[in-house]
Amino acid sequence: MTAAESAGPLRRSPLDAVHRNLGAKLVEFGGWDMPIQYAGVLVEHRACRTDAVAFDVSHLGSLRIVGPGAFDLLQRAFTNDLGRIAAGRAQYTHLLDPTDAHVEDDIIVWWVADDEFLVMPNASNTDRIVAALQSEATADAVSISDVTAERAVIAVQGPRARELAATVSPAMAAVPRFAVARVEWQGTECVVAGTGYTGEDGFEVHVPFAVAPALWRAFMAADITPAGLGARDTLRLEAGLPLHGHELGEGITPLQAGLGWVVRWDKGEFRGRDALAAEKAAGVTRRLRGLVVEGRRPPRAGCSVLIDGAVVGEVTSGNFSPILEHAIALAFLPPDVEDGAAVAIDVRGSLLPAVVTKPPFVR
Amino acid sequence: MTTPEGLRYSKEHEWVRVEEGRVVIGITDYAQDALGDVVYVELPDMGAAVVANASIAEIESTKSVSEVYCPVTGTVVEVNSALDDTPEAINEDPYGRGWIFAVELADAGELEGLLDAAAYEAFLAE
Repeated sequence: MTAAESAGPLRRSPLDAVHRNLGAKLVEFGGWDMPIQYAGVLVEHRACRTDAVAFDVSHLGSLRIVGPGAFDLLQRAFTNDLGRIAAGRAQYTHLLDPTDAHVEDDIIVWWVADDEFLVMPNASNTDRIVAALQSEATADAVSISDVTAERAVIAVQGPRARELAATVSPAMAAVPRFAVARVEWQGTECVVAGTGYTGEDGFEVHVPFAVAPALWRAFMAADITPAGLGARDTLRLEAGLPLHGHELGEGITPLQAGLGWVVRWDKGEFRGRDALAAEKAAGVTRRLRGLVVEGRRPPRAGCSVLIDGAVVGEVTSGNFSPILEHAIALAFLPPDVEDGAAVAIDVRGSLLPAVVTKPPFVR
Repeated sequence: MTTPEGLRYSKEHEWVRVEEGRVVIGITDYAQDALGDVVYVELPDMGAAVVANASIAEIESTKSVSEVYCPVTGTVVEVNSALDDTPEAINEDPYGRGWIFAVELADAGELEGLLDAAAYEAFLAE
């Protein structure tokens, strides 16, 4: 998981007291004191694949971008093409470094209304994204404000997420996949998107600070299981989803990460385009792949990957898969390594056999 | 958090149960709780010579890897191979089914250097 970069006191979620009452274990994450687990990572993970769970993801940043210049600013700053969606939709996108096209952050944009967007970066990247957007903004037709401290974000995920959440709010539960809608709950306006980070169906709610504990308790009363960031990490790994600081970040471009679909070359100019175009023309030197590991022992970030005894790559994330009941990993390998190729992973001197695959590991 | 009477404890959070001619070793309730869900245990080799306070086994949880330090000197005479398939026994029953390995002691006097239950609980409270 991403290490914190801030040295100051930890930020607390609006749900902090609720978590402590539930007996959560809290850990430092991206400068925030957040629940890593309640009952345990494995049971929470399995609940998300078979039932329904709720995560507090208030540590994500929320930037409100408003004004007639908002669309143009985001279109110029990010790699994906907002022209392919419309107000009321969400889109996954990247912000690239203008010099070497590494992924400064991966972001979900919620297009709330014509001239109003919520941009949600990773916790520790929020200040950097604000600075980048301000440097890309050319006119005063757009305002950029960090509203992270004003709200909580709750993710409800799992095959029964909509069914159980419908008893709390039918309108929230009805927001379709990748749609964005304003929903009133007990007289308070929330913003809901059909997004998540688990590979399961579900939605995420942007709820004002003061109302967040009541909404969380309502989800709990609806038999939705609280889940921590530990399960969120094993879930995203099974789903083959990248984590900034591991599969994305310094030195890693979208093309290396296998996320070329996030880059829309036909939309015109965007930050980092020239540097990325140069890499595209030359061809990538490594590509992110999945590794199905024999046995339960988890490889970790930094472990070497070998083919025929020679080091060819490095693990970026690895863990035990609670659903498959063996270990899995993501790793950078040379681009010509084929699916099905046999590799070995060096875990502190032990060589674990593994097979190269195309994620997701769990469908 | 439970700390059974009758066991000896190390400050590295291992427990030691003295049996006829050998000791059985595992990790404490406090340690398993701190580790979180255990998903893999790298057991010591049968017959391995161990030295007190040396790393002898590894426990992998969903969060991280931790080393198990052998609190005594001797020879590994049994390992709990049931942990290969059910490592969660360390979470569920750390003083019972979650035992990790057994050692034939080279020097029974080493046990005197370990903590009793009250002293271990006092250490945890520090």
